[in-house]
Amino acid sequence: MALLLRSVRLAAPMGTTAKEEMNKFWAKNSRLNRPMSPHITIYKWSIPMMMSITHRGTGVGLSGAISAFAMAALILPGNYTHYLDLIHSLSVGPFLIGLAKFGIAFPLSYHTYNGIRHLCWDIGKGFKIPEVYRTGYTVIGLSVITSLALILM
Amino acid sequence: MAAIVRLSSVCRRGVKPLFYQSALLARPVVVFHKEQQLHPLTARIHSSPPLYAGSDSNAASLHWTAERVLSIALLALGPGAYFCPGSVIDYSLAAALTLHGHWGLGQVLTDYVHGDTKVKLASAGLFILSTVTFAGLCYFNYNDVGICNAIALLWSK
Repeated sequence: MALLLRSVRLAAPMGTTAKEEMNKFWAKNSRLNRPMSPHITIYKWSIPMMMSITHRGTGVGLSGAISAFAMAALILPGNYTHYLDLIHSLSVGPFLIGLAKFGIAFPLSYHTYNGIRHLCWDIGKGFKIPEVYRTGYTVIGLSVITSLALILM
Repeated sequence: MAAIVRLSSVCRRGVKPLFYQSALLARPVVVFHKEQQLHPLTARIHSSPPLYAGSDSNAASLHWTAERVLSIALLALGPGAYFCPGSVIDYSLAAALTLHGHWGLGQVLTDYVHGDTKVKLASAGLFILSTVTFAGLCYFNYNDVGICNAIALLWSK
């Protein structure tokens, strides 16, 4: 009888999908009112952790900026050059202009270079811990250099 | 459809302990009957699009691959926009940027939003946002200077 069971089990597929399993996990834990286990408040922050959340942060930020720009294009009355001239006439000063350019260039550079790092991971390269740190520092360095170069263009 | 059990185990200790045996935890062949009875309706109302239903579907892995292909295409559009600015790049950028952002924000949603109704609401909101974003960018490309020129003008300040 047991032998028959084992052979049947190996041949049959799973009864639930991954998504169903995940939903069951969340449903059960919120039903039992369980608090979430502390993670970011107690785990020591590391460079890979910070780079990962920065990748997500820059992604969400850039996406938000694009959406805001698109909505402004649809809603605001004047055209693009009109608003550019408006900003020009404010005579903000080179330092603040440089700062604003850095505010756009750095998130874009960082997200792009770290994105390439992610794609390398996706083909299986660079998982050893020293490699993770080396590529990480490279991404940060390249991002700063590229942003500065873009500002000075 | 009762779970396939060893009759002697059931008789001696009842059904529950069987589920804690490591052998049975590995690959449950049949879902316990009672759970199937309680959730026939909810099982049919999917909060995720029909694509991802069913344990045999490879839609999720296809989506993963598509995300990477799009990322590489977007990487190519960068230098493309710099060296050959124009209408084709403008509209390609609009599409690629919006879709990359849509899928990226979708992953953020999957990570942090839980519960069927919340997921449905958030997904609907994201869909509206992405649609408006794409519409706005296309409007800008058509009626105004276009994305490549806009960046050039902004940077020449």
